[in-house]
Amino acid sequence: MTFYKTFLVLLFINGFALQNTWSQETDVNIIVNKANKVYKYSGDDRICIVNMDIKNNKGKTTMNRELVLIRKNDGDNLKQKWYAYFKKPADIRKMVFMVWKNTNKDDDRWIYLPAMDLVKRLAGSDKRSSFVGSQFVYEDVTGRLPKLDTHQLIKTSDNYYEVKSTPVDPSAAEFSYFYTWIDKETFIPKKRVFYDKNGEKQREYRAGKVEDIQGEKTIVEFSMTNIQTGESTYITFSDVKYNVGIPDNIFTETYLRRVPRKWVSYNK
Amino acid sequence: MNLLSFSTKKPKAIIFIMLAITTILLLFIPQIKIDTDPENMLSEKEPVRIIHNQLKERYNMHDIIVMGIVNEKHPDGVFNKASLTRIYELSTFAYSLQEAVKQTDSIKKEKNELSKENVVSYTGVIKRDVMSPSNIDHIEPIGPGTLKFDWLMSSPPKTDAEALGIKDKLLSNDMFKNTIVSEDGKAICLYIPISSKDISYEISSKLQEKVATYNGDDTFYITGLPVAEDTFGTEMFVQMAITAPIAMLCIFLLMLLFFKKLRLILSPMIVALVSVICTMGLLIATGNTVHIMSSMIPIFIMPIAVLDSIHILSEFFDKYQEIKDRERTLEIVMKELFKPMLFTSLTSAAGFASLALTPIPPVQVFGVFVAFGILFAWLLTICFIPAYIMLMSKKSLENFGVKKENKKNTLIQGLQSLSYFTRSHSKKILLGSIVLFAISIYGISLITINDNPVKWFTSSHPIREADRELNKHFGGTYMAYLSLTNDTEQAKTGKEVQTEIKNLSHTFFNAGTYDASYKIKMDSLIQKIDTNAEETVIYSQITNQLFDIIDYSETDEEMEVWEELTGKIELTALAKTQIFKQPEVLNYVSNLETYLLEEGGVGKINSLTQLIKKINKELHEGKEESYKLPESFSGVGQCIISYQNSHLPERLRHCVDSNFQGLNLWLQLKSGDNKDMEKTIAAVETYFKNTPPPASLKYEWFGLTYINVVWQQRMVNGMLKAFLGSFIIVFIMMAILFRSVKWALLCMLPLSLTIAIIYGVIGFIGKDYDMPVAVLSSLALGLAIDFSIHFLVRSRASIKKAGNWKEASVIMFGEPSRAITRNVIVIAIGFLPLLFSNLIPYKTVGVLLASILALSGLITLILLPALINTLERFFTPKN
Repeated sequence: MTFYKTFLVLLFINGFALQNTWSQETDVNIIVNKANKVYKYSGDDRICIVNMDIKNNKGKTTMNRELVLIRKNDGDNLKQKWYAYFKKPADIRKMVFMVWKNTNKDDDRWIYLPAMDLVKRLAGSDKRSSFVGSQFVYEDVTGRLPKLDTHQLIKTSDNYYEVKSTPVDPSAAEFSYFYTWIDKETFIPKKRVFYDKNGEKQREYRAGKVEDIQGEKTIVEFSMTNIQTGESTYITFSDVKYNVGIPDNIFTETYLRRVPRKWVSYNK
Repeated sequence: MNLLSFSTKKPKAIIFIMLAITTILLLFIPQIKIDTDPENMLSEKEPVRIIHNQLKERYNMHDIIVMGIVNEKHPDGVFNKASLTRIYELSTFAYSLQEAVKQTDSIKKEKNELSKENVVSYTGVIKRDVMSPSNIDHIEPIGPGTLKFDWLMSSPPKTDAEALGIKDKLLSNDMFKNTIVSEDGKAICLYIPISSKDISYEISSKLQEKVATYNGDDTFYITGLPVAEDTFGTEMFVQMAITAPIAMLCIFLLMLLFFKKLRLILSPMIVALVSVICTMGLLIATGNTVHIMSSMIPIFIMPIAVLDSIHILSEFFDKYQEIKDRERTLEIVMKELFKPMLFTSLTSAAGFASLALTPIPPVQVFGVFVAFGILFAWLLTICFIPAYIMLMSKKSLENFGVKKENKKNTLIQGLQSLSYFTRSHSKKILLGSIVLFAISIYGISLITINDNPVKWFTSSHPIREADRELNKHFGGTYMAYLSLTNDTEQAKTGKEVQTEIKNLSHTFFNAGTYDASYKIKMDSLIQKIDTNAEETVIYSQITNQLFDIIDYSETDEEMEVWEELTGKIELTALAKTQIFKQPEVLNYVSNLETYLLEEGGVGKINSLTQLIKKINKELHEGKEESYKLPESFSGVGQCIISYQNSHLPERLRHCVDSNFQGLNLWLQLKSGDNKDMEKTIAAVETYFKNTPPPASLKYEWFGLTYINVVWQQRMVNGMLKAFLGSFIIVFIMMAILFRSVKWALLCMLPLSLTIAIIYGVIGFIGKDYDMPVAVLSSLALGLAIDFSIHFLVRSRASIKKAGNWKEASVIMFGEPSRAITRNVIVIAIGFLPLLFSNLIPYKTVGVLLASILALSGLITLILLPALINTLERFFTPKN
């Protein structure tokens, strides 16, 4: 009798505990997945002009880049295609960077260098190198898949969910974990801080101005600072347009050399 | 003389005043501020230092600790699993030596959860910039059309085979070969940048501690100028604390041997100690930092402070038993010695004070304070020594100076035979001196001016060992940087720019088959250019207008034409400012590098040209024939952006500044000798003279190896000026002392010969004329004249008394010569402990001090009597 009682009590406690963990885990994953959708998947497709200012540790702009960024979702799954066409500075004009973001294997990435008329496939294993000399890495641009990390809800404040994400495979990342502050209302990640392998702050992402464009919450100003070097990159989006019907065929090797003029020109 | 009677009448008052002053100045000593940075040999406002700091900032450069790992035992050198694992770990350990400096709490309070992180800056190791196999990128073509960027060693190898793979990767990159990896594959070098030079000893000690925990066949070495300089500073103060007291002890023991009376010989020791304390106290009280130079002040003051006391004691020792009255003996002794002591002190002080003429702040401080110390010691000697003797009980002096009466000792006998020798062989002595002088002058002509802070350590010191080993395996552990900048004087006039754009557009339209309307439209744009505007403004205005045209193009074809033309114009504008993307400029730089590697004594150069060539090669499937600079501006730009796609794009800034207006060559030299750096500097000059650059380029050097050359030049020139200046001042003083130019000239002879011989020997044996040798030239002058002054002042008096030199000579080779000989022995031997120091400048000072004193004493006792003997008539005209 006593045995059964104890058993039942234990079962109850366990069940409760289990239930609790389960719901919390689901909660944080729901938050992260929702934030991911808002952050990188709004609309069916999107085109915008990106202005990128790279600043030194004194806050002085030392490099500037301008590119047209095109992105197209693959239905409801997390696959995507990205196409970045560079306009400025003049010596990298017409350079193209293209990504097929995959969910179950490495991304496919290409770069086109017009001066040498070279199309290069970039081995996909390393997505964490710099994006054209900025403080953003490639993965920051195309988005890091939530399943690559385990997420933990650290704190829920009045305005934000504070989530800690730790890579499932630590050897595949140069950071050890990162914290994200997700806006409770819009699910927009407002701030993200990466910590290096020594546990020190490494890079900090901050979202600035958010605009409502065609019903999509869009971060049109954001920055990434390398805390250890003091250098930072400020990005502004302009001419943002959603659901313009970008054809699939521009995301092919052929269109690396043959610019899809209709989409990348100023008066598109 | 009033001072003397005061001292003998009121000895306690003298001692009280002395103790009071000493105590006050002693209180300042704990506030000591130590500065071990040789860079401070130059004033902070020196243009070369300002440029050095500006360029370091421009290219984001830091001082570097060089850490080498060599494995001679394993067949694959360090490229085995165990060694690379250690190297990986060591790098990770080095990263952990970075410390974040955070904002204070008061500011922190205002922050909410989204505010910026509060890290302000970092000190210690600059983690991001550490060059080690685990903190560099590897670029490699894998299969046709595919390129791979990856960390070269993202984790320690799991097998020895993997370790060998890492070796291949390292050796495949010219930027790493001879810099990170040795060509024979035996060794790896880590370059650890630090936030400031003055922590290099601390950081290197932490690295040493870490390394000490490793077992295995690897040998670890640490070197580099920052480490050498900072370590020298640290060890220097240890040496000060050891050698100065030992020297003092030696002097003390020798004096005990001569004068036997312990209580009496304590007095010169007190004079020396008080002089040192007061001088250092005053130095610190006046807010000066204790620098490498000023740390040597005690060593210089001590012998000089003791010198005068020995003259007094020696004389007192010889006379006391005759007179048997302290006060009267002192009166006689002081009367005889007052003038020579005053003048010897004044000349020594003048020798040092002349250092104030050098343009080097620490040397100025050193000179002025040693001069002060000497004059202070003189004052102490004439006040304190008599007072001290008066305070001793009569009884304790009873036997003082008695012994010599009983048996003739060798010193007395030896000096008397020397007296005979100088009279009988005077002509030979003079001839010999002239020959010696001539030979010495030839020796001086052989002197090489050179210095290298690493060589301030003895050759068995770990830093010297590291220096030898690592420079055997790598391109070099000494860093010098050559910055090239755009030096285009004047922008083009508006009219010229207008013509330029017109030509550009015509070339464009003539090259293809375009509708004539485009050209007409463009011409009307060009016509409207505001020719009063600046070049850059004109370019941005015209491109903005073209963008409008593009936006309102009606057909795709039209848009394409305008876009093409706009691109061409933008590119032209860009190429004007970003000159270090221009292939012809880069080719020039590349040729300069080749020249310096062949002719300039440079071990390795890391540069933008090398980086571009490497990327270009890998973009072209790793083909060797593509290891070259691209032919177009855009090609260069696209190689660079490919590099910026790596993990560490900010490293580009070490090679070129962000607007491509300044390019930095990182030169690794195998030797830090100033003469070798000078060779490299000359090679660059020659190259620029013989090969005019394609664009107007200005070059500037920076880096510690270069700074050392600059302050050495200052030092050598400054010392020469100071030496000549003090020579003249001392001569004038002698003329005043003797009231005779010919006696003054006579007095200058022994010191001239001494200095000639000393520096002649330095020239013959090939010892570099370095910092300590340069400083000692003024010391030599001040010290070497002392004996001549004593000898001549008293010779003159003796000749007057005796009537001729023959008899005077007998007097002179009595007590006066004994005092000189005792002085020579006490101080020369007293400084020999410096020879056991493990720092070369201390050894140099020890050897030079001993030889200057011994030689000038000897020359005084031989040359002067021989000269007076030969030229007796000239010096003592019969009335």
